[in-house]
Amino acid sequence: MDASAASAILVVDDNDDNAEIVRAMLESRGFAAIVAHDGDEAMALFESARPPLVLLDVMMPGRSGWEVCRLMRQHPEHGRAVRIVMLTALAELTDKQSAIQTGADDYVTKPIDLGDLERCVRRNLALVTPQA
Amino acid sequence: MTPGPRAFLLSDGTDDALAEAAEMLQLDVVAVHPAALLPAAIDAHPSARAIVVATDDPVVLRAIVERAGVRHIPVIFAGTNDVAYRRAIEFRVDDWYLAPGSPIEIAWRIRSALARVSAQGNGAGHHLERTEYEELLYDTLTGMPTLPVVLERTRGLIKDRGEVLVFYLNFVRYSKIEEIYGWEKLDQVLETTAGAVREFLDANALGTMRMMVGFANDDDFIFFQIPDKNQPAPSDRQITEIGRQLQLFVGNRLEEAHGEDVSSLFDIYIGSSHVYYTPKIRFERLIYRGIREAANAARSVEQRERGRRVTALKQVLHDGALYIEFHPIVLAETGVIFGYEALARGVPRSLRSPEVMFEVAAEADLVWELSRLCRDRALAGAKELLHGNQLLFVNIDPHDFADPGFGELGSVDPHRVVLEITERTAIKDYPKFRERLRTFRERGFRFAVDDAGSGYAGLGSIANLEPDFIKLDISLINSIDTNFIKQNLVETMVGFAKEQGAMVIAEGIERAEELETVKRIGVPLVQGFLLHRPERAGVAAGAHAARA
Repeated sequence: MDASAASAILVVDDNDDNAEIVRAMLESRGFAAIVAHDGDEAMALFESARPPLVLLDVMMPGRSGWEVCRLMRQHPEHGRAVRIVMLTALAELTDKQSAIQTGADDYVTKPIDLGDLERCVRRNLALVTPQA
Repeated sequence: MTPGPRAFLLSDGTDDALAEAAEMLQLDVVAVHPAALLPAAIDAHPSARAIVVATDDPVVLRAIVERAGVRHIPVIFAGTNDVAYRRAIEFRVDDWYLAPGSPIEIAWRIRSALARVSAQGNGAGHHLERTEYEELLYDTLTGMPTLPVVLERTRGLIKDRGEVLVFYLNFVRYSKIEEIYGWEKLDQVLETTAGAVREFLDANALGTMRMMVGFANDDDFIFFQIPDKNQPAPSDRQITEIGRQLQLFVGNRLEEAHGEDVSSLFDIYIGSSHVYYTPKIRFERLIYRGIREAANAARSVEQRERGRRVTALKQVLHDGALYIEFHPIVLAETGVIFGYEALARGVPRSLRSPEVMFEVAAEADLVWELSRLCRDRALAGAKELLHGNQLLFVNIDPHDFADPGFGELGSVDPHRVVLEITERTAIKDYPKFRERLRTFRERGFRFAVDDAGSGYAGLGSIANLEPDFIKLDISLINSIDTNFIKQNLVETMVGFAKEQGAMVIAEGIERAEELETVKRIGVPLVQGFLLHRPERAGVAAGAHAARA
């Protein structure tokens, strides 16, 4: 694994096009990104790459984004350090409440606006505690 | 992880999940069909590290386990049901999972089996890095070893001494901490608890050999004591005393770190059992049976304690043995005290927490009586306390409105009193409830919705109560500085409150960063340990009189 991938942002979206658009947006702003297309792949990459930040789509076949979020938070070593951003509109109060209970830190409304995404990524990366 | 030469995982059948799991562990899968060929394959592959088998043919399974045992290679059984799994356990497989499993789970099973084999003192697992074993052997939150590790370490000693004492520590109401403060807080509290338990046991001369087990994602701990050869095992009475001291010790540590509200919320119940070694019964079964007995004993201690608490509460009500603490609510910008929230605490330590006290009262059908006593005391204390325009916030239960004596305030002006109703209680008959609120409002009382935003009620229900104050749920304030969803939600609540003509109160402020964040969002009123601790003003005179 090269040095840039070590701090790469993990993008999880079952829709290939969406995932690639987010990746391109991130790369256009100088961030490295890796992509997973479902929950299991996301967990595998989470385990091996230990991304500082995860951008998680909610609606996925198999494990939903919420389930993946909960699983990541339960990870004994990296679960508390990682920042988790949901890619969804948390329009209702109850959506926000369940996002908080699930362990999400932030959200970006779809369709994703480049400016919103960049702001969101920057403010979350700023809170990442440096790994020993 | 440094990429080394690839090692092998042998399996009698492979699927995508297993292949993925192996990939995570950097192992190559070698499929061996049929399973009967596996024992020979073990010998043929010197760099085999682990074996995953699905066969439940007892003859084949026994041969595989024996062969693998000689080479110190763990066998992981992929079972499709409980019966198959139990049979596999009888044949001493090292671990198992329910097939089809997810790659992550399979990887974890293989890893933990590898770790255990390695813990037995041979180098079969050296392919994986040391830190990864430690993740599995020790609960990362508490730093305590897990059960498989302890069993391996103590097996020889227990056989040698012939007996072991199993203590089961049941921690009650930790889930309540999560419910009230959120999961971040619970993690911190568990860390403090584990540290305190370790410290207590280190200082306590219980014997020569102690081992502690922590369960990840659970509230309970198990603790083994292997008595010294020349020392008698502690009696039941001594064990009870140890339990009492432990509860006190952990309670004090929690109070220092997290305040009395948290420390008085929980209890520890300790059960113990004595396990005598016999070669006729498998070691693991002996230990698990001992754990079950100790857990049952802990549960019966809990039931006894519940009964005792009801008695204690009746005594409190009879003697008026409770006192009020007043927790200041201040203006966020200036720090000026705006009002006080009255918190009732029982004089007996076991009833110190208002939550626990009301829980016991609900069990014993004494809620009205307790409410009445708390209110009287709060109002009596408030007379000396309130200056200028300061308000008194009193927690009430919607059922209190049905109490004919409710609303008698002695000489306190209703305009100085804010009644807090929690969002968590279900209000069944809204029109009737609103009518009741109206009559109280006409007399000058004001209302606050407590725990708002906790998810029990929507904004519509809150608006229905036409509150003067909206108190945000503590879980929204805890770590709000690093959680942007919480910030967004609180912004929504502040906007909503403005529309309703209500003021928002953020309670549970413990860190300067939390205070800064809620101020930036525009929350006008704040409350929390960072600003003030609850004050015990004018210790209830009645309590002394009644006890004298």
